[in-house]
Amino acid sequence: MTASQREAVAIPLLALAGAAVLFGLFCAWAGASPAGVFASIYKAGFGSWYSWQNSLLRAAPLMLCGLTTALPARAGVITVGNEGAFVVGGLAAAASGLATASTAPWLSLLLMMIAGSAAGGAWLALAAGLQHYRGVNAVISSLLLNYLAIALLLQLVEGPMRDPGSLNFPATHPIPPSHQLGRIAGTRVHYGLIFGVIACLLIWFLLERTVWGMEVKIAGGNARTAKLAGLPIGRIVLVASFLGGACAGLAGMVEVAAIHGRASQAISAGYGYVGILVAFLSRQSPLRILLVSVLLGAVLASGGILQRDHELPDATITVFEGIAFLAILASEALSGRFGFRRAAAQPASVKTVEAANARP
Amino acid sequence: MPTPPVVEALGISKSFGGLRALDDVSIEVPSGSFHAIVGENGAGKSTLAKCLLGFHRPDSGAVKLDGMAVTTPAEARRAGLGMVFQHFTLAPSLTVAENLVLARPDLPALLNWSKEKERLRAFLDTAPFRIDLDARVDHLAAGEKQKVEILKQLYLETRALILDEPTSVLTPAEADEVMTVLRDLVTGGRLSVLLITHKLREVMAYADRVTIVRRGRRVASNEVRQMDASRIAELMVGSAQPPEQAIRRQVRERRPALEIRDLRVLGDQGLAAVDQVNLKVHTGEILGIAGVSGNGQRELVQAIGGQRGIESGSILAFGVLYRPSRSAIRRAGLLTLPEEPLDNACVAQMSVAENLALRSFEHPPMAKFGFLSDRSAIRRSAEAAVRRFSIRTPSIRAAVRTLSGGNVQRLVLARDLGGPDTRIMVAANPCFGLDFAATAFVHNQLIALRNRGGSVLLVSEDLDELMTVADRILVMSGGRIAHETLRADLDLAAVGRYMGGHAG
Amino acid sequence: MPGPDTLRFAGIATALLGGAIRGSIPYMFVSLGECLTEKSGRVNLGMEGILLMGAMTAFGVSEWTGSPWLGALAAAAVSGLLGLLHGGLTELPGVNDIAAGIAMIILGSGLAFFFGKQFTAPMAPQLPVLDLGGGIGNTAARAALRISPLFFLGIAAGFALHYAFEHTRWGLHLRAVGDAPEAARSMGIPVRRHRIAATAIGGALAGIGGSHLTLYFPGIWSEGISGGQGLMAVALVIFAGWSPRRCLAASLLFGGAQALGPSLQSAGVTGLYHVFNASPYLLTLVVMIASCSRTRAMAGMPGALARRG
Repeated sequence: MTASQREAVAIPLLALAGAAVLFGLFCAWAGASPAGVFASIYKAGFGSWYSWQNSLLRAAPLMLCGLTTALPARAGVITVGNEGAFVVGGLAAAASGLATASTAPWLSLLLMMIAGSAAGGAWLALAAGLQHYRGVNAVISSLLLNYLAIALLLQLVEGPMRDPGSLNFPATHPIPPSHQLGRIAGTRVHYGLIFGVIACLLIWFLLERTVWGMEVKIAGGNARTAKLAGLPIGRIVLVASFLGGACAGLAGMVEVAAIHGRASQAISAGYGYVGILVAFLSRQSPLRILLVSVLLGAVLASGGILQRDHELPDATITVFEGIAFLAILASEALSGRFGFRRAAAQPASVKTVEAANARP
Repeated sequence: MPTPPVVEALGISKSFGGLRALDDVSIEVPSGSFHAIVGENGAGKSTLAKCLLGFHRPDSGAVKLDGMAVTTPAEARRAGLGMVFQHFTLAPSLTVAENLVLARPDLPALLNWSKEKERLRAFLDTAPFRIDLDARVDHLAAGEKQKVEILKQLYLETRALILDEPTSVLTPAEADEVMTVLRDLVTGGRLSVLLITHKLREVMAYADRVTIVRRGRRVASNEVRQMDASRIAELMVGSAQPPEQAIRRQVRERRPALEIRDLRVLGDQGLAAVDQVNLKVHTGEILGIAGVSGNGQRELVQAIGGQRGIESGSILAFGVLYRPSRSAIRRAGLLTLPEEPLDNACVAQMSVAENLALRSFEHPPMAKFGFLSDRSAIRRSAEAAVRRFSIRTPSIRAAVRTLSGGNVQRLVLARDLGGPDTRIMVAANPCFGLDFAATAFVHNQLIALRNRGGSVLLVSEDLDELMTVADRILVMSGGRIAHETLRADLDLAAVGRYMGGHAG
Repeated sequence: MPGPDTLRFAGIATALLGGAIRGSIPYMFVSLGECLTEKSGRVNLGMEGILLMGAMTAFGVSEWTGSPWLGALAAAAVSGLLGLLHGGLTELPGVNDIAAGIAMIILGSGLAFFFGKQFTAPMAPQLPVLDLGGGIGNTAARAALRISPLFFLGIAAGFALHYAFEHTRWGLHLRAVGDAPEAARSMGIPVRRHRIAATAIGGALAGIGGSHLTLYFPGIWSEGISGGQGLMAVALVIFAGWSPRRCLAASLLFGGAQALGPSLQSAGVTGLYHVFNASPYLLTLVVMIASCSRTRAMAGMPGALARRG
């Protein structure tokens, strides 16, 4: 392993360890036993086959939403539009599903997948495009688009798409059960998990084993060099963002087709935002996203048990997420100090002596 | 008014790592005199200035102001020494008044602007420039910004002022204005000036005394009255014999490979860095561009490489209009090698192998079926390049930022010179940071490219290099081509003069 | 006697005015805080989380001590600490401003929801209200003129910030730090210290804005109490060209946009409810598209921000 590969493993581990310590302290201060809390999280996440399924159920959307942040990030654009793409994807999927309710189930589901992915992809690509071609900060625009997506969802669900039968809780007509996304045989876990795993593997393959992946990494690594190499940066950014948004849109489709069976306010469950955390914890790498999603899925699944056994509100999980995020940021910053980087003695930048000393 | 201090540098030596920037350099600037320091890039001028100001501690020797030793910037400041740098040190969104006031060390917590402005106006009455106090700095022209920098120094009661290439961003008219003012301040006994420049015209027109530095040593120091521009230029570039000629074959048919027509490129300041440049590089030719850096060479190379936009004019490769897209680069075989390759021609966190594959990763053998990346082919190619160009790296999987500067340079050369499809090579200081053997190797590669009918546009700050390698040499000064000469007819002194912005 | 349409229009207008004044308060404080932070060259995207923590703290302390003003003060203190955390974190080498901001949003909202769970009372002692329309008979107009003192505090803060920027040494140094940090450093101005201080104070201001949400309008604690005001304030600052006084005006505009939905609804216009509620977000997006450009930095942008983007 090279020094940089060593570093790539050590830093997230360091961060998670630090986060665990801080979180333990927090729990202790809140009156719960840290050891007990960690044990409960483990039990709720991995203690039994039942727990495993809970974790995997939550890991599925996280895998897809993690890719939503990671793909544009690898191309050099940071966005937080996961939730918006998710919602828009779910909405499009619902509309598609309702429109194709009389066709064959496999066709209906396929079209739902396409609709959801396309809608989510376009939504995120819009933010990325605005940044590249117009200079509008993609973080802010994608955040705004999140809110607009939810407004769109609510407006349509309470208006034109409303099911008159859904009295107190506005929702669309339900998708017929035969046309919903089924469960993996013998489990409670829906096929969305398969989507997530395939997406992670596929994106990994695209990034690491194809020409396009090389282009993305160069464009995201150094825009000047990308220009020198004659690469079309705008196109690369748009495609990467579309793919990322498509993943979130697909996750939204799964939420509609497998969990709720219809579109309503409930489909905006916040997976999008946790996806951002997953991406940063994984340092934008698809295979690590796969792993981290399962871990974080387990943590998310423990909300109930923390409430029951330790009297900790489910916001505790969010606190853990925040601590973990800060920990990974701080650990990346401090990594240089621990000598992981066994760099060459001289700085690699080539300047004249005078220019190198240009700063007083 | 207090008289300007006597500024002395006595036997200053300073090394950075293995590089000896200054070697026993002495200089004396009597009170109220105008002294110029001339030299090429890397000669040690800026390092000397920084030692005088106390930013660097010399390895040996001393700096004295009015006979008192000075070791820290604070001491230098107190003794009345100040500097105007090449880059502006003004806050762009603030007004001129705010910038001037900002520099004051004894500001009260609450600012009484009417009092401050009154103070400033009183100061401006004695100052040689008129400037609008309420103008925002980023709305000023470069010349006016330079004036504000000088005003700032005067406001701080600087009595000995060092200026580092102050007219590099100015139009000739602005430059004259600024220099005249400085001259008047010196004549009036208010200021001593130490001017770092490579422009001989300024030296001849404004300075009392000139010191010439070359490769960290003081070569000569004399009154300007007793020198002429040719002599200074000669001392600046050295009167070395043209070095050993590389073997070059006669190339029979020559047609234009790279053509630049009326090119105009804007620099970072918004001014034209490249101004109506026309040149042609023929097949089987190495065209060198000489000149002190900062005269538009960087922007020219960036424009050809696609890293900087073109304001007007065109680039043609083999007679066809050229825009730096991936396919056009490949079709024309036009590869650009900019300065500071780690920052501009590599992706620092990607591996050596991946960086080596930058130009050709989408073509066989590195790509299969048009979209799959063949990693073992990339690996093999990288290993071959590492061997052939002696790139020192622990592994081809190591990140390229872990390589030393010289090895990054070798990597980029291996990538761009090593391929068979390169037909036009545009390179800026490609041998920077390389040792003697490596430099010779690169030169041979360039000549080999030329011999097989390729073209090279070589931008270099090293005249020796150009004299070894180039068939034809242009001198770039102030964004324009000032002079053209064949290698065979080279008049070193003339070239030196043109580099110094001095015609004829 | 004015016709029914005119009355209806007048009704909407007064409701809008009252709503604009009321809704502008969180925007004012958060945008002033963000303006201060950005003037020093730092972007704080975590304002949403800091706002929520402020809101929660204000509610909790007000309930606990019975004094809403103590609640507001505590909110300022806690949010100031979070701002300090953000400021310190982003000074570490290699820490991405944006990622740090997102982390603060998650942490801030997590902590806020965590501590907010223990609130039993639906409402905490509220901030007093100035009944400026005391004499007017029309109830709608009178309602519109019931203004929180925080509104005037916010305006005062805006002018105070403007004064500080233009007429104090600290303000001048701060602007230099944000515009040309290298030049400021070479003049001996402590760049880090100014940036961290500005971020901390910015956080404190956001906290006060948060206290308005739980101690005046809507005056309750719930996890959905902030509709993204923290984030929109970042866009608001860009819209206002980094000028504190223009931030005040823009806040009124955004408050009005936010009040559009409810005002129309109160007048019986029920269609497109969510679209009207989304008008602040739409407005922000349109404003940003219009004022940003690919190559030029925007007028008034602190240099340190322009160079990074």
